[in-house]
Amino acid sequence: MLMKKMLRTVWNYKSQFISMIIMAAIGIGVFLGFNIHWHSLRTNAFDFFDDTHYADYRLYSNDGFTKKDIDAISRIIQVEAATGYLSINIDVKDFNNSLTLNISDNYTVSTMFVTSGTEYDESIEGVWLSDKYAAANGIEIGDNISLLYMGKAINLCVVGLCKSGENMICVADENQLMPDFESHGFAYISPKTFENMVGSILYPQVNIVSSLEKSELIKALENAIQKTVLVTSKDEHVSYAGVKSEIEEGKTMGSILPALFLSIAILTMVTTMHRITVKEKVQIGTLKALGFRNSKIMMHYASYGFLIGVIGIILGIVIGFLVAYSISSPDGAMGTYVDMPEWTLHLPVFCVPVIVATLALLTLIGLLSVKRILKGSASDALRPYTPKAMKKSLIETLPWWESMSFGAKWNVRDVLRHKARSAMTLVGVFGCMLLIIGGLGMRDTMTLFIEMLDRDINNYETKVILPESISNNEAVQIAEQLDGDWQAVSGISYDDRTISLEIYNADNGKIRFLDENNELMELSDEGVYLCLRLKDTAKIGDTIEFSPYGEDIIYRAKVAGYFRSLVSECIIMSDTCAKLTGVEYNIDTIYTDISKSQISSYYKNATAQDKNSIIETYDLFMEIMDIMIIILVIAAIVLGIVVLYNLGAMSYVERYRELATLKVLGFRDNAIGNLLITQNIWLTFIGSLIGLPGGVGILYVLLKALADEYELSLYIGLHTYIFCAALIFGVSLFVGIIIARKNKGIDMVEALKGTE
Amino acid sequence: MALVEFKDVTRIYKAGDNELRALDNVNLTLEEGKFIVILGPSGAGKSTLLNLLGGLDSPTSGKIAVDGNDISAFSDDALADYRALTVGFVFQFYNLIPTLTVFENVSLVKQISDNALDAKEMLTEVGLAEHLHKFPSELSGGEQQRVSIARALAKNPKILLCDEPTGALDSETGVLILKLLLSMTKNYGKTIVIVTHNQNIAKMADVVVRVKNGKISSYEEQENPCGADEIEW
Repeated sequence: MLMKKMLRTVWNYKSQFISMIIMAAIGIGVFLGFNIHWHSLRTNAFDFFDDTHYADYRLYSNDGFTKKDIDAISRIIQVEAATGYLSINIDVKDFNNSLTLNISDNYTVSTMFVTSGTEYDESIEGVWLSDKYAAANGIEIGDNISLLYMGKAINLCVVGLCKSGENMICVADENQLMPDFESHGFAYISPKTFENMVGSILYPQVNIVSSLEKSELIKALENAIQKTVLVTSKDEHVSYAGVKSEIEEGKTMGSILPALFLSIAILTMVTTMHRITVKEKVQIGTLKALGFRNSKIMMHYASYGFLIGVIGIILGIVIGFLVAYSISSPDGAMGTYVDMPEWTLHLPVFCVPVIVATLALLTLIGLLSVKRILKGSASDALRPYTPKAMKKSLIETLPWWESMSFGAKWNVRDVLRHKARSAMTLVGVFGCMLLIIGGLGMRDTMTLFIEMLDRDINNYETKVILPESISNNEAVQIAEQLDGDWQAVSGISYDDRTISLEIYNADNGKIRFLDENNELMELSDEGVYLCLRLKDTAKIGDTIEFSPYGEDIIYRAKVAGYFRSLVSECIIMSDTCAKLTGVEYNIDTIYTDISKSQISSYYKNATAQDKNSIIETYDLFMEIMDIMIIILVIAAIVLGIVVLYNLGAMSYVERYRELATLKVLGFRDNAIGNLLITQNIWLTFIGSLIGLPGGVGILYVLLKALADEYELSLYIGLHTYIFCAALIFGVSLFVGIIIARKNKGIDMVEALKGTE
Repeated sequence: MALVEFKDVTRIYKAGDNELRALDNVNLTLEEGKFIVILGPSGAGKSTLLNLLGGLDSPTSGKIAVDGNDISAFSDDALADYRALTVGFVFQFYNLIPTLTVFENVSLVKQISDNALDAKEMLTEVGLAEHLHKFPSELSGGEQQRVSIARALAKNPKILLCDEPTGALDSETGVLILKLLLSMTKNYGKTIVIVTHNQNIAKMADVVVRVKNGKISSYEEQENPCGADEIEW
């Protein structure tokens, strides 16, 4: 019988129950969505790394590695496999784009997964192309493609299509944020094929699979081979680092957002269940008077919480998997960033106890909501609930109180009288504003980031990558012909970290630099500039020491200033400063306004990249970010509507008698509606005011978390503030109008019967 | 002069398949400046009659004319204006706004009526000048009812409609309230319509209308009504 009562109560308070279910569903959905996403990404990506023998370490040597070196490295205990490795960017004729060409000498490390065509065989003279690159460029197995290497065209037949852990995030260089398979892909060929193309092969890189710590490996290498090598761990490699960073971001989103949603869901539940039990006080008293035990009545109200929990969780699981799929699937946001064959969704084990705990908590809220009413005797419970008597608040002592309108006084007192309800409305609006400002602020920040890269820093049309064989004199000559700036990048050890040293001749203004305040600055010849990530390591005027990676030479230079390096962690200096300091360098890149197609008429052996193709990948990056932001903003709006509607409806029910009295006195429906809407708008205003710095704060924390990857400058445009305010006030007004429309249905005769 | 005219007024309430005929073809005329008591047992239809006259409800059929205007044909907004300007209500359970002080509850009517009287004066009139800044919950039942009367009078209405105004009060307070209402007719010429099942109150009335089973069973004009003090409670 109590089950029937429960179902009827649920029906009577359907809007409250629906809103509690929606809140629980969104909380669980967001929690599961992001956690399933990062867990699935980790499982699928790491499995693929294992399957394709992803290298734990990459060793680099300027002199290259001989077969003897590689054998010696292989013999180090705890080095499970080692291979000579070559990874170079080459142009593809006919398609006017480029490939990262991979060669794994003994094919034990950094291998590929053939999705169709012939399995790898070193005796086959052909090329295994990235399946996504092939699809984007309309290439099929059996087609011939022409690769340009050192100015020479080499025709190869496509024998298979593949994916590889090594190229899981397939970008041409660190300036490309997102893969774009129309302009850049990857390919594998056998060492024999490469030798046939160019005559001989020298491996500048050795990839190894090993469980050794980096320091242990460096020691072991010193003993095994007598040469200086640069050792980088997988954490420094784009595919592993990129996936790891996505996992970390997923973990952050999977903890901050659900915590916000679930806490609002739980608070809404506490407030609403309290109101329902207060409304049902006489019924509870009747059950008690009839002889129902307290435990039975408590179980009855606990079942409300349980019912809400079960339905909310079932819906939440569906939402969770949909959110996870929209992010972590070949068609989802991650599908354009990460290239791997398996995209199954995996539920992290820790989610199960969290879901069970949420269900238990919701049930407990139902149970506790009735406990206080049951404390006294049955006759106490049978007495109708008497609201708290009004007392004057501090605010009424203010001088302008008396001049306030009746509506304002009425609303202020109502807000103060129903503190829990008002506080919940504030929390709902706060959460809504925080999410919208945080999400759209992130978008503004990234847009500014791309704008700065495109407009301020990269003031060139084409980036020309020179071959390693070219001398500095030749490079400078070419740069002069191209009317361009040049750059020399090398690895250095500084402050116990491996970073890059970038030397520039930027006299033509093709490559430019930004200071901390995003203002353009000139490089002085007086010293080096540290990127903002290194700001804590030295003050301006300090002399810093750094060494070319793996060498004992120490260079000393004064810190002339700091600059904003949007992507790489580096130290920069002018070429004059480099000469004065005695730093050796090899020019590797020229930035020019000459178009990509004309570069070969100046110099044949260079690889050229169009700036637009780099910027296009940023647009792709923004598209992915937009999906995340849309999810976030929709969730925030639903949150706002549900919380405001639930509490607004509750406020309406609680003030029903007062509203009926106003109606009897002769107030028109519009005037009464305005009173209700005004309170909503006030609370929205205050909630937004608190939510605004909250959103900026969340963004600040997020940017701090991303600081290792990008030096982003927090920026939220005025238009975003206006849009957020319009959106949130729009939501508030919309909900207010829906509730105010109920005024027409007030039954004055019924409402004014009975005691207060 | 006829202030109120009910013509063939019927009010039917529907609950599922059942119909309740709360008023059945009622014809009634009430004159201005009179103290009128509508008497009848529970469920007779007297409150329905008062609610229809007060513009809280509309008849299923028939016409109600007040001051020459057919209020049964009024729109929602016109009815709201009618309630604001023509009638004042006093309920058994006061229906004051708990979040407004005594003074604010009465001065509230200034929001809707240009002819509203001074709230302080009205409250002084009903003997509550010392309680202006108290909240309703800080007052006794009788005091709350006096606030309710002050609020109704502050609108300066033509008709004051009272639904069991002494129903929740003890006899002493009840008499005070009745005296107050009577003085409104005598001193200000207001038309007072009281709905009650208390036969004794009828002795004070200029006109007694008896309602039974949704019909007017009798209409009686009393030439010498007694004072409130003479009523045996």
